[in-house]
Amino acid sequence: MTPEIADVKRWLLERKPEIGDLDPDFDLIDNRVIDSLSFLDFVFFLEELTGRELQATAETVHHFRTLRAIEGNILHV
Amino acid sequence: MSEIAQTLDRIIGMSIDTYYNPYKTFQWPDELPNEQWWMTRDLMTIRGTALESQLSEKQLMALSKWESIHFYSLNVHGIRELLLEVIKRVHTPGFEEESEFFHHFVGEENEHMWFFATFCLKYGKKIYVDKKIKIPAGEMPADIESLLVFARVLIFEEIVDYFNLRMGRDESLHPIIRQVNAIHHQDESRHIAFGREIVKLLWEGVRERHPAERQQEIRDYLGRYLQASIQSLYSPAVYADAGVPEPYKVRTALLADPVRHEADIRVLKRTTDFFSSLGLHS
Repeated sequence: MTPEIADVKRWLLERKPEIGDLDPDFDLIDNRVIDSLSFLDFVFFLEELTGRELQATAETVHHFRTLRAIEGNILHV
Repeated sequence: MSEIAQTLDRIIGMSIDTYYNPYKTFQWPDELPNEQWWMTRDLMTIRGTALESQLSEKQLMALSKWESIHFYSLNVHGIRELLLEVIKRVHTPGFEEESEFFHHFVGEENEHMWFFATFCLKYGKKIYVDKKIKIPAGEMPADIESLLVFARVLIFEEIVDYFNLRMGRDESLHPIIRQVNAIHHQDESRHIAFGREIVKLLWEGVRERHPAERQQEIRDYLGRYLQASIQSLYSPAVYADAGVPEPYKVRTALLADPVRHEADIRVLKRTTDFFSSLGLHS
């Protein structure tokens, strides 16, 4: 696990400690770890981490669906 | 005549009597000076904080410019969302009584969106992008979905109106800024009157049909929605445009500042008081 994805995992677990742990393929959206109301904070956190502005749309929301997707589509592009 | 029918009758009459052509109402100056207050100082997200005292007046004015462009951008995106939801419901079962008003509402909101977008593009050369996305919350009964839609619309309109009312009267602001805010406030008073009636009516129906546990989920969701809405005013992109270093850390620090927490409670008070009176806020 890269330091960046470990940061993402820590950020999510701080807000949803009841999950316990996050598997790389755990669906963050279906399991309501992130929802419409928490999404903006999550995007700002990822922007700060990556140093670039992000723009999510309904078509690219799958980039945020799992830790693996975040790593491949957002952290390391 | 029901309460909502009386309100509709009254506000439709006012919409017709006070109708104006927004495309002719505003005399847009070609440009506005950068070194002026673009937003009422008390409404800025840094107001009362240590950061405010660290910035020069010139920097604060720059921040007021970008906070105002961001505020109008949020209006553009919020109006788009509410138009989509109201258009989905006009002349559909359950909204027979409201549909006549929806025509006025849609027309007026379209015009508000136009003048807010015009302000952003003319004086900021951009509309801040909307970073929020809608993640479907799964299957939801239609009556609860409609309640949440109109409650969200009302929350949005009441927050915006808090700003419009004050900026429309603030003589430290340029006349065009005052005019945009004053006119929006005038129209939104009708929309808010309608919003309160329809939220009350829909909530009464939901309370009759759904168990206490579901009602509490709705209260919890709306509580979170209120917080998310007020926090969307704190934008790292705005702080960056105003030249404030470490814009993400600034946002985090401001959201954790008790001074800002109190200020945000004041903005939301009218809405939370109303929701509390209905038993829709805990």
